[in-house]
Amino acid sequence: MILFFLVSGLFLGWSLGANDASNVFGTAVGSKMISFRKAAIIASVAVILGAVIQGAGASQTLGRLGSVNAIGGSFTLSLAAAFTVYSMTKFSLPVSSTQAVVGAIIGWNIFTGNRTDPGTLITILSTWISGPIIGAVFSVLLYLLIRRIKRASGIHLIRFESLIKKGLIIVGAFGAYSLGANNIANVMGVFVPAFKLHDIDLGLFSLTSAQQLFLLGGLAIAAGIITYSKRVMDTVGSNIIELSAEAAMVVVLAHSLVLFIFSSTTLSDLLARAGLPRIPMVPVSSTQVIVGCIAGIGVYKGVRNINFKLLGQIALGWVTTPVISGLISFFSLFLVKNIFNIDTGSKITDDNMDYYSSVVADENISLIFRYVLIGIIIAGSLALIYYILLERKRVKEIKLSEEKFWKNLK
Amino acid sequence: MALFTRTTKNLILRIDEFIDNVELGLLVFREGIKAFLEKDQKTFLRHLHKLESLESNADKLQRTIENEMITHSILPQHRQEVITLIDKLDEIIDVLKSSLVDYNIEQPDIPASLNKSFLSLADASLFAAEELIPATRAYFRAPHTVRDKLLKIYYFETETDKISKSLKKTIFQDMNELDLAQKSNLRYIINRLEAISDLAQRAADLLSAMAIKIIM
Repeated sequence: MILFFLVSGLFLGWSLGANDASNVFGTAVGSKMISFRKAAIIASVAVILGAVIQGAGASQTLGRLGSVNAIGGSFTLSLAAAFTVYSMTKFSLPVSSTQAVVGAIIGWNIFTGNRTDPGTLITILSTWISGPIIGAVFSVLLYLLIRRIKRASGIHLIRFESLIKKGLIIVGAFGAYSLGANNIANVMGVFVPAFKLHDIDLGLFSLTSAQQLFLLGGLAIAAGIITYSKRVMDTVGSNIIELSAEAAMVVVLAHSLVLFIFSSTTLSDLLARAGLPRIPMVPVSSTQVIVGCIAGIGVYKGVRNINFKLLGQIALGWVTTPVISGLISFFSLFLVKNIFNIDTGSKITDDNMDYYSSVVADENISLIFRYVLIGIIIAGSLALIYYILLERKRVKEIKLSEEKFWKNLK
Repeated sequence: MALFTRTTKNLILRIDEFIDNVELGLLVFREGIKAFLEKDQKTFLRHLHKLESLESNADKLQRTIENEMITHSILPQHRQEVITLIDKLDEIIDVLKSSLVDYNIEQPDIPASLNKSFLSLADASLFAAEELIPATRAYFRAPHTVRDKLLKIYYFETETDKISKSLKKTIFQDMNELDLAQKSNLRYIINRLEAISDLAQRAADLLSAMAIKIIM
């Protein structure tokens, strides 16, 4: 039963993969620089690595916004956020998973009578505004730089595009890594206090309880990318403004940098050591950042190129998403608590500050986790090898058919 | 990654080789026309064979370039235009070859008094096509310089039209000693020569739009 509660988190992960992966590789796939299959594989691997290696930072900020202290509450608010993201994705509306989760947590706070920490809320809200602005500035600066280099070097167009393609793969992988690192907090953050799993020792490194949850969440995001993100990827980029190959790469790079900045504790520590203010570790909305980056390029090229109607719809989504998610969360918590009689959490007082109902610390669950994770990793690796072999066969077939054509012509 | 690098390198070499073929074809055609007007059949045939081989090689290169661009998804946003441009360049070398082949079969009787005018016409038309070569090369390396290079193509195309009109006028209005069949045959040759600059102009139009797209 306790593992069942994770399903809503996994559903949210899947929705995030389906929706937000398009922010990372959408411009590359939309501009046909990279095939969807290649993009999906790279994004899946990188997102899992980001979630496991660097996912802890942003999770703590969400914890401060609302310390959900019952797994029933975590389950319900995750489900509310996932439902919001899924529904809006289904209707092709741009949606931010971060906003959905924040809205759902505030819904939980209101339902349980907890106070929403205004400082944390303001920190999160400010990154919703600063994220796209920083993204826009980064993208314009990088775009100017790359164009200057291109013009000065006199590089052949085909060689340049080939470099851009490689750049898109590297930057896209970095973007997916940052997405995993930054947004895994949305998917699994609320479940972390509920599980005390045994560490999994993998020889070279070991996975803590939180990392195991992040790995599972990362796998759910990867599943979302592979199964449902194609449609969104095909439309991103070309909708707001038609992007050239170098602009596509710049947008992904700027977006990845913003996400990385808001999830790198190392960078934040470095700034603090230099006497500068710390960077808040906040799960920023990758959708908002990417829109900011694309709009930045659009403004640089001339505002006439920008689809303002679509930008307006996106901005409206930014307001409606947390509100809808908060309302769904509130009413779902009411139903779960009163109809199914499940503990959804309580008001946090000085006495129950560190209290969390039904903490999972069972050895068997740790074992199940271990085998499920190892099984998924092996299956994923086999699928990857199969894909590589299939690609090689395809190229070989084309080469053979071409040789046959010229042989017949002689 | 190594595969990508090799493909890119090969494709660049093939495009360069294709453009070289067209450029060489224009030079060979000019020499072929000269030999034809001077009634030097041996030299004319040598140039004809050379042009046939260049045209056949260009066809093969064109197909390989198209295949590689599609298979390896190279230049996805500009692929269609690049393929069309290469097709237009190939059309030029096709016209050059088929013109020499037709002259060889038909052996038209061009009056010696018109040799100079025919040579001027061929020169002007070929100049227009020749100016297309550096513009095409510039598209791949310095697209912002393409439009400057296209100016000469439009100039030579207009010159070709003027020479062609004057030549036709001379043939049909001043040379009563020629019968109508011969006049028609000469008009056909003039039209074939004129077609080279027309094709160059059409390619220049495309190249101009392609350059704008890539600069923006």
